[in-house]
Order: sequence, then C-alpha cells, then structure tokens
Amino acid sequence: MRELTYKDALHEALDQIMAEDDRVFLLGEDIGVYGGAFGVTGDLQEKYGKDRVVDTPISEAAITGACVGAALTGMHPVGEIMFSDFVTLSMEQLVLQASRIRFMFGGKATVPMVLRLPGGSGTGASGQHSGSYESWFIHVPGLKVVMPSTPYDAKGLLLAAIEDPNPVMFFEHKLLYRTKGPVPEEMYTIPIGKSQVVREGKDLTIIATSVMVMRSLEAAQKLAEEGIEVEIIDPRTLNPLDMEPIIASIIKTGKALVVHEAVKTGGFGAEVAGRIVESEAFAYLDAPIRRLAGLDMPIPYNRNLEYHAVPQVENIVEESRKIVQGVY
Amino acid sequence: MAKEVIMPKFGFTQEESEIIEWLKKEGETVEKGDPIATVSTDKLSMEVEAPERGILAGIRYKEGDVVLVTKIIATILQPGEVLPKKNAEPETQKIEKDEPSKPEKGIEVSATPVALHMLKDAGIDATTVQGSGAGGKITKADVKAYLSQKSTDRHGGKVAATPAARRAADEIDIDLTSIAGSGPLGRIQEKDVKAAASHIVQAIPPTIPAEAPRIPLKGMRRIIAEKMTCSAHEIPHLTLQMDIDMSDAVALREQVARQVTGKDIKFTYTALITQAAARALTRHPKLNSSLDGDEIVLLPCVHIGVAVAVEEGLMVPVVRDADKKGVYQLSNEIATLAVKARTNKLIPQDLEGATFTISNLGMYGIDRFTAIINPPQTGILAVGNIVEKFMPDAKRNPILKPIMTITLSADHRVVDGAEAAEFLQDIKTGLENAGATTV
Repeated sequence: MRELTYKDALHEALDQIMAEDDRVFLLGEDIGVYGGAFGVTGDLQEKYGKDRVVDTPISEAAITGACVGAALTGMHPVGEIMFSDFVTLSMEQLVLQASRIRFMFGGKATVPMVLRLPGGSGTGASGQHSGSYESWFIHVPGLKVVMPSTPYDAKGLLLAAIEDPNPVMFFEHKLLYRTKGPVPEEMYTIPIGKSQVVREGKDLTIIATSVMVMRSLEAAQKLAEEGIEVEIIDPRTLNPLDMEPIIASIIKTGKALVVHEAVKTGGFGAEVAGRIVESEAFAYLDAPIRRLAGLDMPIPYNRNLEYHAVPQVENIVEESRKIVQGVY
Repeated sequence: MAKEVIMPKFGFTQEESEIIEWLKKEGETVEKGDPIATVSTDKLSMEVEAPERGILAGIRYKEGDVVLVTKIIATILQPGEVLPKKNAEPETQKIEKDEPSKPEKGIEVSATPVALHMLKDAGIDATTVQGSGAGGKITKADVKAYLSQKSTDRHGGKVAATPAARRAADEIDIDLTSIAGSGPLGRIQEKDVKAAASHIVQAIPPTIPAEAPRIPLKGMRRIIAEKMTCSAHEIPHLTLQMDIDMSDAVALREQVARQVTGKDIKFTYTALITQAAARALTRHPKLNSSLDGDEIVLLPCVHIGVAVAVEEGLMVPVVRDADKKGVYQLSNEIATLAVKARTNKLIPQDLEGATFTISNLGMYGIDRFTAIINPPQTGILAVGNIVEKFMPDAKRNPILKPIMTITLSADHRVVDGAEAAEFLQDIKTGLENAGATTV
C-alpha cells in the first residue's frame, strides 16, 4: 500500500471530505494562507476558498465558539487549536456548551464538530506549547476523545470524527506528523470507540496512546531480544473507551502497564487501571498494574530535561522488564 | 554558650553509629578536639571530638546504643551554664516507647533504627526476628528476610497474594497460607500456587480406574470418620506403653477353667483387663473425666466402653459400673454385648455413657497398637496379644513368661505423662496379682 506521513494523511482526509461534503469547513489560526503551523491544512484554502478554510483571529474561544454555533446550524466544522495547550481558553465553550447541548435539548440539537489539537512534547517548545491534555476531556460526558497514533488511524479516525454527530476532541502529536505508514487512497473510517491490538505477546499487556504506541513498539523489539513478549494495545479512542481487548489481553498476560505522555496524576492511566480492576481481568492480575507517564511537572525548555520529563523507549523497556521479572 | 555534640556522619551511606565507649565522663573538662567517645560504624570505629572547650554534660546515650547520625549525643557547657531542659532526654527513647516491636517485661531487643522502623511499619514483634548484627542486633537485612519469609503472618494473618494467585488457589482448592510466596515481600504469585499444586498432585495416586468400587462414606462409617478426625485434630494425644507379666492372669484363667468345666461360665482376658482398668480408674479419676470447656469434669461412675469389631466398622457397647463387678459378670456382659453388636441388636442405651474405652486386638495377633481417644473421654487403652517371651528371672536366667503390652492414649490437655504412667502402673499391679482378683 502507498505510504503517507501522518500529516499528509490528515490533509488527505480533510481534502477528500471537503470535496464531498460542503457542510465541512475549517477554522483556525494560520491554517489558510500559511497552511497551518504544522502544515496539515496546506493548500486547502487555495483549493476550497477563504469561506471554507477560515483564518481566525488569535482567539481559541472564538474558534471553538464559532464551531459550536456552526455545528448547531447543521455544519460540520473542523477547528484547529494550533497548540493544544491553548484549548484551555476554549473550556467554557467545550465543557458547558458543546458537550451539554445534546443532553440538555433531549437529543433535538447536536454539535457535530471536531477540534483538532496538536499536542505533546519533544520539540523544545517549553511549558506552554508542549502539554498533553486529553485526560481533561475524558472527564466531560458528551465529548468524544480520539488520539490516533498512525497515519492510517489518523485518516480513518478524522473522517469518522467529522461524520460523528457529537463534538470530538481530536488529539494529534507533533512528533507523529513526520512518521510514515500505509494509508489507503480512498476514503474510509475507523470506528470511534474501538481499541486495537497492535502487537501480540504473552508476558505483559502495554496500553499506550499516541506517540507512546510507537515508543512501546520499539521497546517491545528490545524486550523480545531478552525473551519478553509484550502485547501492545492502542485504545485510539480514549472516550468512549473499548476495554474488551484490554481485558482479554490481561486475562492472558496477568500483567498490565499503561503508558502515556500526559502527567500521571489524574491521568488516562488511572482510568484504565481502575477499569481493569473493576473487570473480570482483576482475578488474573499477577502483579500490580503500573503506570508510566509524564512527570507531574510542566514540560521543561531544556532539551535534556524535556527528554526525561516523559516516557522514552528505555523507560518502557526498564519498566516492562521489572514488571515481568516480578520486581513489583 | 552550650554547644551540642552530634553523632557525626563519617560516610555517605552511613545512617547510624554505635557508641562503643565514652572516653570522658559527665562533668569532666574537655579541650576542643579532645576525643570524648569512640563510636563504630559497620566498618570501623571512630572518635567523636569535642566541638569546643568546656564541660561535658547531658550524655544522652549509653555505651552500646545505636544512634542516628546528626542526633545530639551530649552537650559541652561553659562554666556556670546549666543544661537546657530539652537536652536532658535521648530522643530515640521517646520514639521507642511507641514501638509495638519493643518487647514488654524487660526483654531487651536490639535493632538498628532502620530495622525498628521497618518492624513498626510491618507491625512485627521484634522478639520474633532473629538478629544477625553485632550482639544479635536486628538489621535491615534481617527484617527484609523475615518479611519475605513470613508473608502469611503479616497483617493479622492476612496473606499477601496477587488476585491471579488467589483465583488459582481457589480453583485448585489449596490453602494460601500453606504456600511460600516468591514475589516482592513474599507475596504469593500465581506460579507459586501452581508449583504448590503440582506437589499435591504428585501425592495423589496417579490413576484410579473408573470401575474401581466405591463405598459411600455414610452411616456408621461417616460418624467414625468425623469423630476420629475431630479427635485426632483437637486432642493432643499422649501415648504410653507398658509390658505386663500375665503369668498370674493365665494361671487364674486355667484354674477357673479346670474348676468350672462344663458349666456355661466365661472368663475372658478382656474382662480381667476391664476390671483392672476400671478399678485403677477409681484411683486415678482424671483418666475417668471429661474436658468441658475450661473445666475438667471428674465423672462419678466408671462405665467402660469395649470396642467390638463389626462388619461395617466398630461398635463400642458400654459396661456400666465396671469397677464394681466381678470378672465372671464382666465376661458375660461383654460377651452378650459383643453378640448383640455383631447381630445388630444393640439398643441405644447399650452404647451410651462410656467414660473410658478399652480396645483389645490381641485375638488378632496384634502385639501393640495405639488407639484414638473417643471424645469426650480422656483415655483409651489399646490391648495387645499375650506373647510368650523370655524374661530374666531373679537369678538372671531366662524364663518364658506370657507378656502383654498395653498402650494408653490420653488427652494431654487433661493429664500429663506421670499421672498416666501411674495409672498404667496401677493396672499392671492389678493384672500381675490377678490371684487376688474378685472373680
């Protein structure tokens, strides 16, 4: 199959859906003339015009609020928050409006919007441009939270998110934009709320999100050389979370490690661990569930400190080894 | 100004030092730099120097005490100064008062502060831990070893085990407390359960053919099974054996046989032994008792249960007031009861109220055996065969004698060895002087 970068897969998804469905339009800072801070929107303004690829003022609240309003009228807006950190300015629109409207109008009004949220560290962008905020939104009923880790998933999930009648928080990772993978040319969707086993193994179940899927796969190769076979599951959608493959995997391996870049405290890992112990997998656990996550601190500017603030391949190797060897 | 002397830190990883010797006494004048105490780390001994000129005062620890580094161990006073109040008492003593591990009643347990902390956290009595340090001092390593070994005893008898281990134990029906854990702090892992289970499986006979006959454990069999299991589990059995010279008894029986030929009068050894035991019981009432909760009830009558083998198992009909009956009467009663037992004609009253049991397997050629007490009784006498044995006479010449071995099982909660021995001695005396027996 043809290979595309994660960035180009997203671009293709937007291009294809815009060509087909004129309810879809884009809003964001520098997404038009400039083509997006990370180049995702690229030539789309040239192709579809300024009405459908709208350069907005620097106001995340305005972008989000406009998305909510447009979605209520039947449009399918796709907003971009240039750095997901600034979604902090969109909170009221998302939490009190976008997520609530369908509930509070008894299903008579829907908010079919997507907010694209480039996030994550590793680019030297320091404490206000490097965060991972997905956990905040899994706590809001009414919002769906999607976090693709491959170009294939990025395209399929973005198209599914645009189709979805609910507001979808679409977390991209800046380090993933350059990664390549097979992507079908035609339009396709990947169902929201389906976890995927990305590597099979018998010794340990790793539940990883976003860039941590890539790092876990690399760690798995090193562990395999030591005879440790880890199974890796990418939930892809954080809410609604598909636990089925995770539970089945832990019943097989008896051990679980959750890896994410966002800080550990109150993070997605805690939710996964909680659901595991509530499930039938509990009786199969032969070690404490461990979480490997970002340190409880903002991402530092210093590149060495930045590197150590979030899980890296060697940390995943070490932690996996310890769990399998029964150190915990 | 009063200057505090602290326990110095000599090495990076050093956490404590033991005070070996105080080189100066309280009240002595010291110069700055004077060695005032020798202390030892685990590697070497060092001197603590006076931090300034003055009078040594407020020594907080005695020789042999282990003190955390940076703790104040003494104070140097200037002439005219008094010891500040807060410097009067060693800090660690306060800590130690809270230690659950600190034994009561003056048993001295020595442990490093780290070890004490760990013991406290784990809720372990320090007296149960073996120390490997100097003078039996409990070290961090000792506590760690103890914890990994004793996983099952911690937290009020709760067992540390992973959920998977618990599920496996449940499925296999194995008791987790019987398994040693290989996980951190002795936690039981699933593989530990499986390993333990594989041992159990090995102990079971490998294959049972499907057509093997199976006898349901019911009725008398079940009652015997339950009673004996209960007795074997609950009663600490004390067993004593004694050889008895049955010459007199044999002679008596032969004499009786000659005198009463033709008449339907029985004279059995079982009856003779029953009588001897019954009379001995009247003199040793604790063997004729019943343990009832916190009390030993001395029973007023002597009713002897005599074990009789029947097809389905065992019945123990009761001879009432056996101490008051003659051998003929006992012989006849026992014979009648035995016939009734074998023909299934015993009535409930025949089986009630025994205070002591006699089981005679002599007629089966058994020389000696031990029996299990039939609760709530306190004793059971197992009687063996009468065997001709060469025994030394007064001149140390071997002569043949009929010897019988009796074995008493007694409830050790009620009686001790000496008392039980005296009881056997009493029976022996009775049987060896059978000529004087009331027939």
